[in-house]
Amino acid sequence: MSVNTTSQKLSSDVLVIGGGIQGASTAYHLAQRGVSVTVLEKDTVSRHASGVNAGGVRLLGRNIAEVELSKAAMQRWQQLDDELDADTGFRRRSLINIAADENDLDSLRSREQQMHSLGYFHEVMLDKRELLERLPHVADHCVGGVVSEQDGYAIPFHSTQAFRIAAERLGACFCEGELVEQIRKVGDSWLVDTKTQQYQAEHLVNCAGAWGDLISVMIGDNVPMSYSAPMLMITARMPHFAGPVVGAVSRPLSFKQFENGTVLIGGGAKGFADRANNTTRLDYSLMANGARNAIEFFPIMKTACINRMWSGLEAYMPDNLPVLGKSMRAEKAYHAFAFSAHGFQLGPVIGEVMADLITQGETRFDLEPLRVNRYERKTL
Amino acid sequence: MTEFFTPGSSDSSAEESSSISYDIAIIGAGPAGMSAAITASRASVSVVVLDDKPRSGGQIYRNVDASPLPDAEVLGPDYIKGAELTTRFRRCNAHHIRGVTVWHVGDNGEILFSDNGTTKRLTARQIIVATGAMERPFPIPGWHLPGVMSAGSAQVMLKSDGLVRDEAIFAGTGPLLYLIVAQYLRLGGKVKALIDTTPKQNYLHSMTELSGAMRAPGMLIKGVGLLNEIRKSGTKIVSFAEDLKILGEEQAEGLSYTRGGKEYSLPASHIFLHQGVIPNLNMTQALGLEHDWCKQQLCWKPKLNRWGQSSKSHIAVAGDSGGIIGADSAAAMGRIVALNQLVNLGVISALEGESEAADDLTFVASQQRFRRFIDRLYRPLDQQRIPESPGTVVCRCEERTVADLKKGFELGGREPNQLKSQTRCGMGPCQGRMCGHTVSELLANWRNQPVADVGYYRLRSPMRLVTLAELSQFTDVTPKAKKTEEVN
Amino acid sequence: MFRSVTKQQDPMTAVQVTINDTLVSVVPGTTVWAAMALAGETATRVSPVNQQVRSAYCAMGVCFECMVEINGMPNRQACLTEVVDGMQINRQVITEATIAELQTELKVEPQPQDVTGNLSELTATGSSLAADVTENIKTGE
Repeated sequence: MSVNTTSQKLSSDVLVIGGGIQGASTAYHLAQRGVSVTVLEKDTVSRHASGVNAGGVRLLGRNIAEVELSKAAMQRWQQLDDELDADTGFRRRSLINIAADENDLDSLRSREQQMHSLGYFHEVMLDKRELLERLPHVADHCVGGVVSEQDGYAIPFHSTQAFRIAAERLGACFCEGELVEQIRKVGDSWLVDTKTQQYQAEHLVNCAGAWGDLISVMIGDNVPMSYSAPMLMITARMPHFAGPVVGAVSRPLSFKQFENGTVLIGGGAKGFADRANNTTRLDYSLMANGARNAIEFFPIMKTACINRMWSGLEAYMPDNLPVLGKSMRAEKAYHAFAFSAHGFQLGPVIGEVMADLITQGETRFDLEPLRVNRYERKTL
Repeated sequence: MTEFFTPGSSDSSAEESSSISYDIAIIGAGPAGMSAAITASRASVSVVVLDDKPRSGGQIYRNVDASPLPDAEVLGPDYIKGAELTTRFRRCNAHHIRGVTVWHVGDNGEILFSDNGTTKRLTARQIIVATGAMERPFPIPGWHLPGVMSAGSAQVMLKSDGLVRDEAIFAGTGPLLYLIVAQYLRLGGKVKALIDTTPKQNYLHSMTELSGAMRAPGMLIKGVGLLNEIRKSGTKIVSFAEDLKILGEEQAEGLSYTRGGKEYSLPASHIFLHQGVIPNLNMTQALGLEHDWCKQQLCWKPKLNRWGQSSKSHIAVAGDSGGIIGADSAAAMGRIVALNQLVNLGVISALEGESEAADDLTFVASQQRFRRFIDRLYRPLDQQRIPESPGTVVCRCEERTVADLKKGFELGGREPNQLKSQTRCGMGPCQGRMCGHTVSELLANWRNQPVADVGYYRLRSPMRLVTLAELSQFTDVTPKAKKTEEVN
Repeated sequence: MFRSVTKQQDPMTAVQVTINDTLVSVVPGTTVWAAMALAGETATRVSPVNQQVRSAYCAMGVCFECMVEINGMPNRQACLTEVVDGMQINRQVITEATIAELQTELKVEPQPQDVTGNLSELTATGSSLAADVTENIKTGE
């Protein structure tokens, strides 16, 4: 474990726990405003979900509670490389969810109605001909779909590192190999102990991902968070056959073909998470389902060869929405975790939200549906 | 309760089976795997051996039962003697599933393998990994060009298909290099030159291990004998060569080297490279076993006790996949590991295991002293393991050079997995087999830290490419077990 | 050139394979790589990034340099595969610039809208793999 001892800063305005994309983005936005910030990461930056997720930059099909955040994030992605002076690998490719039958089209129509009534017009339905124009290799039984034009993908490891490096340039400090063992509020200060050090700060941000519930409890907030191991597989290079990122309306299918020709296949199947040992196990029979769906929707995939399979540790809330906002039990503590397998795209805006909460005490987004204690009454 | 395990073939039909799992699964049918199977196959134990070749023998005894050569004797007595082992293996009770590719082994005992385009699954209580060795990568400028192959490939092509390549240069160091040159010459093949990179000081340093070598004088004489045989044939031999470079832009056109500070070049359209062998790590790494960096053999190897047991008690590693020990020791380790697993299964007592393994344990220990001498004498040059030239390809699959990796390192890829995420080095179909050791040593150099602190790739299944079509189906394989008698 | 030093083989047992459009006769049990080497067709693939011609390196399944296209399936390791009569072996050219050809036979209009109907069509392209998949989807496995 490489412990960053040379630039360790024991006292800062803000202490961020977790060196994933949310933590790195938070550090970047704070440092940009001249706030001194230290990030504690128990392993290495982007070691877990932020480094190994599917890289989807998706606005399509978002839960209503997240649409505003996701739209704002999407604006940021379009010029993020310039802003961070780095290569996040972002490519705007559009994302298409395929309708396999009339039932799928019906659900798309009702979604369209809902979105239009709320004033959102970024999701556009496609008929069969339009679908074939955009995805000529799609199987013939597919009847249409829905597209979001701004969507695409980025390289997760590169993106998270890009935020980290930009943050460091502005003076933020990242301490790797620092596992938080205890958190205390003493007077106006948060005191955070790791095995070897004590860190002190006025504000504390929990960006601990799959370990977010543990940090949350140390701060004083209980959350019914679970964790799991969503699985991914990637093929050896194939001839280019799909420009847009592809999903399906009612099937566990999700894939994208990168510029280098490899095809990343996801779809939400989960393996076995072993959080205590920092590791995951794959469930190969479930991977088989994803394989079948891919071939059914894209017959060309029958020649695909799987090169690697993996999964990462990811945190979920029962409603599949993140915990985002101020702590309900403690002053000057904030949460941004449990993104339930769709936090990557939100990264650029989450840092902004955290920085707003810390430096201005408020944000332009409605975080009510994402508050940390939203399950408290239900459990009574 | 005792079940009698009948030897079976892989084309099992739906017969009654009282067990859904094998007692012992062995991956690999080289000397270690075959010996383990022979020792483990007892009346009450179900053993399965999975191997990716159509015939047993591993790389060392490849095709020993069905040599395509008119006279296989030219390959030498160390090859021919393998037939005895393959015969005994054929006669033993183990279920031999051949010509299949194991693509996943889990520490929960689950094994997935490709059989003719279908994935089959079996489970086992104990696992023996005997996947053997691979040749150490030889990352020098131009080693990725067509016309450059490993010397091991020359031997494989000879054993399995009876192919020779005339007028090739053989370059590098190690007994296998001299052996293949000698085999070529015996078959009437024309060898352009043997460029030996064993440095002078290795001869001096290895003398400190000579007393160990004298315990196995036969093997010592063999190495010297091969070199004499090559010399007598009039083949050009260059000793103490350094700074090897493959010449050519799109295809190998020759080899350049220095000797005593002077640069030479030899034209040739084919060059065979070799600098020793290292354990085949992918299975033991993907299983999550603990590994150590071995300074003596300059390679990663799984942590094993003297019974070949890994950091996970039900998984053992036998033969060269646990550290290079050679065919005879591999066969002995196969027996030792099998006895230990019989003890684990409660089939024999610890005392019985100890006494049955005593001779083999002594033999393996004595061979290790000889191994120290060999490892010292044929220790590959730093410059041939840790490339410096910016344009040298390290990752052949993703075409990443020393310069690409250096850049990734400077961007924060300080550890092999970070470097992999940063640069794609090690992400291709070979799963890091051809770049993993180079990356560990390069990073150690750049960080100025021991290789042991740098680590290796975290690997996952599949260990080989699996087609999406194949992945969509699974078939279970269960041992054919037939109750023949009840024993109290 | 590679040459064979094997014992005399009965020419009646030979199998015919096509390597890059050339029909060659080889001994049964030969690996695809050996067949290619004997035929002088040693270029196995074009590398995806720099588009350089590559050839087998290790001949024992480790390096994946000998990946070729066999009977339409890419990424087959020539050194681990034995020849079968009628086998079509082609140099693998999948670079980062390769565009997939549209499988027009799958696009014939009008098409029935049910899954099995389409997959029967897929089977008709002659791939046994496709047949397997069809079978699987039909049985819902």
